[in-house]
Amino acid sequence: MFFACDHSCARCILSVVTASSFQIDIPQALLARACAGDLGAFEQIYRRFERPVYTLAVRLLGDAEGARDVLHDAMLKVFQRINTFRGESPFWGWLRQIALNEALMRLRQHDRAESSDEMDAVVDEGSGPWGHADAGTLERALARLPAQTRSVLWLYHVEGYSHPEIADLVGKSVSFSKSQVARGTQRLREIIDSPAGPVSCLIAIAN
Amino acid sequence: MSDRNRQLNLAEALRALPLQSPDRSAWPELAARLSRESELENRESKRSERIRRFVIPAALAAALAGVFLVAYRHHDSRFPISGSSTATISAPAASSNTNSAKVDNVHNSASHLEQLVALQQRSQALESWLRKTGGTAAPLQGQDLAAATEIENLIGLVDVELSAPREMPDADLWQRRVALLEDLSALRYSNYQLAAGGRVATASLTD
Repeated sequence: MFFACDHSCARCILSVVTASSFQIDIPQALLARACAGDLGAFEQIYRRFERPVYTLAVRLLGDAEGARDVLHDAMLKVFQRINTFRGESPFWGWLRQIALNEALMRLRQHDRAESSDEMDAVVDEGSGPWGHADAGTLERALARLPAQTRSVLWLYHVEGYSHPEIADLVGKSVSFSKSQVARGTQRLREIIDSPAGPVSCLIAIAN
Repeated sequence: MSDRNRQLNLAEALRALPLQSPDRSAWPELAARLSRESELENRESKRSERIRRFVIPAALAAALAGVFLVAYRHHDSRFPISGSSTATISAPAASSNTNSAKVDNVHNSASHLEQLVALQQRSQALESWLRKTGGTAAPLQGQDLAAATEIENLIGLVDVELSAPREMPDADLWQRRVALLEDLSALRYSNYQLAAGGRVATASLTD
């Protein structure tokens, strides 16, 4: 679980505010039943994590059908391997890792030949338009980003992964992760701020 | 506004996006798959238990029977056959009782069971008759002796096959055993009549 530490470091503050939707506590008794192969317990766990897993997959893949496949395959792996869960970390973290690996694997399989060139992280001191944009506008803008850029942005901002962790997950460098966050942030700003609204994404074309 | 604050704002905006749900739940497919796997696991576990409890001892018994058969054949090549033929047959007689018990446990088909029981009873009756007449019949000689030896060897082979583990007792094997015993009885019967000085044999072949 994430809690703010006494010295209020930036990482701790970030952790508190970036609480993942996966952070769901599962009762020990329910886990024990699932480990014993109880189908009812599996269903309860599935119901609790269905939306977080599906949302993560949709954000990374940008494809509803592919995201449903990830949901199915990830949950199947969770139930097949639940006996290997040692309880040393929260169950939700273990489940999220399985779901994330599944989504990233699919993302690599459907690599859309995006440019992986790195750019310096642009520091933009101005506040973003997302503060006043509605959810629909932000979602449409997000959907227009290239899958890789959107994935890195999502893992960094929403799931709270650090740049080194993201670099490990996607098999790229730390500077790549940083540049994708900067690029994605900039593009989101441009898309939302454009007079026509979030109608197209020029990143992929430009690359 | 600092870069960290700007990022937090974007993170908050992204996290505020509603969670998404798949257009149809993946649970029914998962439940079906997990049930199938559980069923297979149970079947595999029962199979392992059966192997541990029955097949391994049965295989050991079959191996011992094979060793016994080889030892007998070796012994048979050095000594006259009279007196030893009944020993060859008496061992299968014991196994036929054991197999009869197994048949009762395994089979549901009444007619098949009846057929098997009839064959086993016939087999026992023939063995019993051969044991009774073994001491009084004239020793076989020449072609009769060779034929009797050959038949006894074939009966031994059938017994080895009968002692092999299988789901259902093989009626064809029992049929073959009875046919061989009948052949052997026919050979012995003529010699029994000769030894009895032409008197009609009193021992019944079917009792």
